[in-house]
Amino acid sequence: MALNILVVDDSAVMRAMIKKTLTLCGLPLGEISEASNGCGALEVLQNSWVDLALIDINMPEMNGIELIDEIRKRPDIADLLLIVISTESSQTRIDFLNDMGVGFVHKPFTPESVKAKIMEITGVQNVESDENLVAQDSSSDF
Amino acid sequence: MSNQMKTLLLKTAVRTFEDLGFLLPTEEVDDEQAEATIQASAIVKFRGPFEGVLVIRLFGDPLPELAANMLGEETPPDRQQQLDAFGELANVTCGNVLPAIAGYDEVFDLDEPIVDWESGEDSINEPGEATADVQLGLDEGRADLLLYVHGNVPV
Repeated sequence: MALNILVVDDSAVMRAMIKKTLTLCGLPLGEISEASNGCGALEVLQNSWVDLALIDINMPEMNGIELIDEIRKRPDIADLLLIVISTESSQTRIDFLNDMGVGFVHKPFTPESVKAKIMEITGVQNVESDENLVAQDSSSDF
Repeated sequence: MSNQMKTLLLKTAVRTFEDLGFLLPTEEVDDEQAEATIQASAIVKFRGPFEGVLVIRLFGDPLPELAANMLGEETPPDRQQQLDAFGELANVTCGNVLPAIAGYDEVFDLDEPIVDWESGEDSINEPGEATADVQLGLDEGRADLLLYVHGNVPV
């Protein structure tokens, strides 16, 4: 199963870093879409099939928490798989996200930490060997 | 507390420059680094159990290498992407240092980073000295980090 993934972050550089990380993960990828805030993400979700959304918290217009609330309220996308990728370090907020069934990856992240969380949340297995990932990324943190 | 805060700011900054920017900062700054002219500054305002501002100023010319490293590219990206990368580094530094200071049960909200080329003192409307400040030596210059905190900091 190829994953269609939506990357939601107000930083174009961070979106590029996440997309690059995804391509290095060895996971089966379909289309990778982008949005720079929650409003843009909802537009993408309305118009395209997305299996998993990777969401930042601190964003203008509609932040990540507001976006997650909105997604969970809408019956057509309420079951969308979600992972927050954020600098957030508050255990209170991380526990809150986990209670909502949302995965969490801390910034700065590694390809390995992103891959492990995606596999945990989606149940998808990697298609490339871990040896290849390690060879490419042993020095990479993002 | 300010000494402890300085230590936490230093550790967080070193780790973030290493992990996110793939740079190897030093805690010592040589004469050339000390005399370098300002390249860019980033400001991140935050609110939570206490509020304030984190300012990072880059001196010399570290930004092209920093941005290229963050993006995993051989050549530096354009100037706007360099600023964006710097803003993200400031955001990650701020997001990691605050819970280190306040405790990991506390919740902070961070504003979007404000990043400018060649802007220094004038861009910060903070009275007085920073609560904590550190300097890092970089291959192509240096970074100054200033943390301004308002209100009571939990000890």
